Amino acid sequence: LQKIGVNFTVSNKDTVKSSDVLFLAVKPPIIPFILEEVGPDIEARHIVVSCAAGVTISSIEKKLSAFCPTPKVIRCMTNTPVIVREGATVYATGTHADVEDGKLLEQLMASVGFCTEVEEDLIDAVTGLSGSGPAYAFTALDALADGGVKMGLPRRLAVRLGAQALLGAAKMLLESEQHPGQLKDNVCSPGGATIHALHFLESGGFRSLLINAVEASCIRTRELQHLADQEKISAAAIKKTLLDKVKLESPSLSVAPASKVSLFTNKSPSSKKN
Amino acid sequence: SGRGLGGRVRATGSAMEAVELRVGFVGAGRMAGGLARGLLRAGKVPASNILASAPSDKNLDAWQELGCRTTHCNLEVLQESTLVFLATKPHILPGVLQEIRPAVGPHHVIVSLAAGVTLQTLQRLLPAGTKVLRLMPNLPCVVQAGAMVFTRGSSAGDGEAALLKSLLSSCGLCEEVPESYINIHTGLSGSGVAYVYLFAEALAEGAVKMGMPGGLASRIAAQTLLGAAKIMLETGEHPAKLRGDVCTPGGTTIHALHQLEKGALRATVMNAVEAATNRACDMAED
Repeated sequence: LQKIGVNFTVSNKDTVKSSDVLFLAVKPPIIPFILEEVGPDIEARHIVVSCAAGVTISSIEKKLSAFCPTPKVIRCMTNTPVIVREGATVYATGTHADVEDGKLLEQLMASVGFCTEVEEDLIDAVTGLSGSGPAYAFTALDALADGGVKMGLPRRLAVRLGAQALLGAAKMLLESEQHPGQLKDNVCSPGGATIHALHFLESGGFRSLLINAVEASCIRTRELQHLADQEKISAAAIKKTLLDKVKLESPSLSVAPASKVSLFTNKSPSSKKN
Repeated sequence: SGRGLGGRVRATGSAMEAVELRVGFVGAGRMAGGLARGLLRAGKVPASNILASAPSDKNLDAWQELGCRTTHCNLEVLQESTLVFLATKPHILPGVLQEIRPAVGPHHVIVSLAAGVTLQTLQRLLPAGTKVLRLMPNLPCVVQAGAMVFTRGSSAGDGEAALLKSLLSSCGLCEEVPESYINIHTGLSGSGVAYVYLFAEALAEGAVKMGMPGGLASRIAAQTLLGAAKIMLETGEHPAKLRGDVCTPGGTTIHALHQLEKGALRATVMNAVEAATNRACDMAED
């Protein structure tokens, strides 16, 4: 990040003080600690954007209200392809976030892909679909490539062609008024290769597997949120565990004294694990 | 007997004039009766211009009640009619063709309904140059909601095809196809009617399980299929789109569809159509 000119600090407080729009891009269990730490520095101008899966707007507002009477909170769910500016992002605005605040976030996120506002109760479903979606696609692409290799293609070419096929199909669908069922039909000449292949997919319950996957991811997101809400372990104990974990993962990082815990790791902030 | 050629017909290149067309049926069973009813209901042919033959009186009463003429003599049908439907059971047909062959002339239009009997076979057993077509109807022709495909033999021209299509549209959907589609039509729609009955039965059973009386469930199931099909035919929209239109987010329909997908219903139906089509091909070769 520093290479591309992004300012870098080990102090969360500094980040907050020098920002107007504040993205909370830490893992969900850590959110409460970050909020406690930076709460006092949150001012009226700040728009706090949480990208943490399963962390509700109300839980964030509750934590921040100890420090700030009307914290502006927006919850957002994005996905990894923001890296290549083809992200899928949704956001829900909190109690004190204005329409302009939402529009500002939308503008920012629209620069890295598709972005739209939703009701908060849909965010778990979005997680299941487009949050986890890239993983389904990577799995499919790996398997498609295997198919290509089995039938004689070199691996690199198979991967390249598979990815391009999915990219092209997605692009066609996004640019078309037609239903995906119709687009599928357009590829299937009578008695041809494609319809034979599709029969195999149907026989394997391809569609139901995908429905199952989206459902499972959505349900699991809700479970994790529920578990988090019920967490009764002491804050200090969790802090210590996480701190130890950070030391283990990145022994080269210098860790500031306990009062200024910085939880930056070497990973890029946009590689979120859902 | 002494009536000579069956009625005055002019071939105009687009459609023969059907006003004085004389139509004959060799074989007077359900399918033939259904087609005849369709023609009569649509006012295409007066009953007095329809002649049906059958070996016994068993089936002929119904025809007489409609005002059609009947006979026990297949040859008479050929002598009296121009457009002749061969509606016997497939295994009887070769014998019937031998029988009527002497009376078949260049003015005749012969339409065979026999499953598995190819144009090649028909043309071989009839005089050279006879105008022959094959018709594959399905059961709902009897209530004028049939799905029919027909294919023409080497001597049948645009006029004959147009005539057939125009007459049979009174019984439902009627389309001309290459002969290779006939067996597919069997798998899709000939047998397909049975798949629909199975589906309707299962729908009703589900409702019974949930507490609805069977008779009511059955009628509602049938009407549901009818209504959905009607929308599909009238709007011409893709069924996938129509399906999506019914699915409100998180609602009952999408929950149910998930169950259907889990059961690989689509693949199973494809398997059914494939099996019936293959069987039709095998039987034709027997």
